[in-house]
Amino acid sequence: MPIVDLKNVTFEYIRRDNEGNVDGITTAVDGVSLKVSPGEFIAVLGANGSGKSTLAKHINALLFPTEGAVFVDGMNTADEDKLLDIRSTAGMIFQNPDDQIIGQIVEEDVAFGPENLGVPSEEIRKRVYDSLDAVGMSEYGLRSPDRLSGGQKQRVSIASVIAMKPKCIIMDEPTAMIDPEGRREILETAHRLNKEEKITVILITHYMEEVVDADRVFVMDKGKVAMSGTPAEIFSRVSELQELRLTVPQATELAHRLKMAGVPIRDGILTGDELVSAIMKLWSAAR
Amino acid sequence: MLRDITIGQYYQTDSVMHRLDPRTKIVLTFVYILSLFVFENPAVYAVAALFLIIEIILSAIPLLYMVRGLKPVVFLLAFTVVVNLFFTGGQELVSFWIFRITIEGIKRSAYLMGRLIFLVLASNLMTLTTAPVSLTNALEYLMKPLKIFRVPVHEVAMMMSIALRFIPILVDETNKIMKAQIARGADFESGNIIKKTKSLIPVIIPLFVSAFRRANNLAQAMEARCYNGGEGRTRLNPLKYRRADIVAYVLLVIYAVLIVFMGCFLFRVIPIAV
Ligand SMILES: Nc1ncnc2c1ncn2[C@@H]1O[C@H](COP(=O)(O)OP(=O)(O)O)[C@@H](O)[C@H]1O
Ligand SMILES: [Mg+2]
Repeated sequence: MPIVDLKNVTFEYIRRDNEGNVDGITTAVDGVSLKVSPGEFIAVLGANGSGKSTLAKHINALLFPTEGAVFVDGMNTADEDKLLDIRSTAGMIFQNPDDQIIGQIVEEDVAFGPENLGVPSEEIRKRVYDSLDAVGMSEYGLRSPDRLSGGQKQRVSIASVIAMKPKCIIMDEPTAMIDPEGRREILETAHRLNKEEKITVILITHYMEEVVDADRVFVMDKGKVAMSGTPAEIFSRVSELQELRLTVPQATELAHRLKMAGVPIRDGILTGDELVSAIMKLWSAAR
Repeated sequence: MLRDITIGQYYQTDSVMHRLDPRTKIVLTFVYILSLFVFENPAVYAVAALFLIIEIILSAIPLLYMVRGLKPVVFLLAFTVVVNLFFTGGQELVSFWIFRITIEGIKRSAYLMGRLIFLVLASNLMTLTTAPVSLTNALEYLMKPLKIFRVPVHEVAMMMSIALRFIPILVDETNKIMKAQIARGADFESGNIIKKTKSLIPVIIPLFVSAFRRANNLAQAMEARCYNGGEGRTRLNPLKYRRADIVAYVLLVIYAVLIVFMGCFLFRVIPIAV
């Protein structure tokens, strides 16, 4: 059974004027169908305004589809009795770390989810420190979140979500407001949780470097899934990506330009190392 | 200029007072303050002073630090003393020009001064030894009976703790906006009060906009983490009374009995000679 199953989901934001009349309709998500299997690491790419956040909020039952249906671990998000189950199965991490930390002390913040679920106190304590351990923040349990760096705050947010023991976490541009060092920490944490704890990860981003290690990538444009496939497949379609206003990683772009210039280099190069070895191979073949 | 704001005034150290349950401390402080207003007699005030001194010793907070806490009320203190000293009618002691100092005046101002100082010290002691988180938790617990009157106790406590969490963030943001406006040529320093107030409008409006945005995001984040009101919530650190709290409550009862006893019966035995 897929952990997340979107069936032809459409969502419309309806803007109203002061009198309450409909002023305009934005179709933020437009007929999206996709399935995610347990344990997968999925990346969703897309330029600003392509509907990524709107889509993500559907998986967490914060928004409900105008048309179509969303199933999380077999539960329909339209089923109100399942709301808390759905939200604890599919945890959500938002872009701005300051706007999602609720507690005044790190451990209190991590405890917020399990507290809401009515978990007994001793069990909460265990979960809090296990989760902080999993993101490498257990020494910070008694600190104030205000004193942490952006990357650390975001890792606390991740711990707060995994303390609810989700099967899946959705991260909505978790690195957008974070410095490069923090960005690396967050991505490493996401991959480690995926490998070690077998948590399904849906990473939403507009940085293409961040998706190279994903199992599958979906590219969104104007509310629709424009491309999907493995990172290598996606990155071999450089001109399409550029048309969707996405900047490809430097190595991929260089390989693409070399190819355009007539160099017989292979498709789907993602990292500097791959590029170097591909060029070395060409070079030794040429000699 | 906003750099120095700290919320609460928690003094971090380890002491008997720090380890008491926050509920105990709230009740203690409440009863103590109440006791200052019931009787006016030197014996009662002596007991109250003793009680406070013991509390301060048990809190391991330096005396100088406590005394400095009186700074904000120095003016109020001086004002009440002066007014009561010179303008209370009664048996005249000395007089010059329009001022008359009476025995009653001296007594009144001495009592008022004592009352005010004890009150401020006692409530400071509570906030110095209790972290804001614990205070809101304890308030939620102590106000639970008000639920019968449909007071949204949990919601109020949640609001207080969210406010405490967001004050530093909003202060930070205010600083950023002010700097951004200064960079655009805004002037917050010169001019009279009206001009200064007006110059704050371009700070306040973006601050409000951002506060609303944050509120919306935070509400969403809380919902995403299964927040569903206070019903059925458990706590990471449930409040628990320990031995020390029982001792404190017993002492409090003894204190209250002593005060009532002195106030009611010793009143005539000890002549009021100030
Ligand atoms: N609360 C909202 N009200 C109205 N329109 C919105 C709202 N949130 C997003 N939109 C619109 O929906 C579209 C998709 O937005 P969003 O899902 O936030 O995209 P992304 O996360 O990819 O940047 C955009 O055109 C945006 O303007
Ligand atoms: Mg977004």
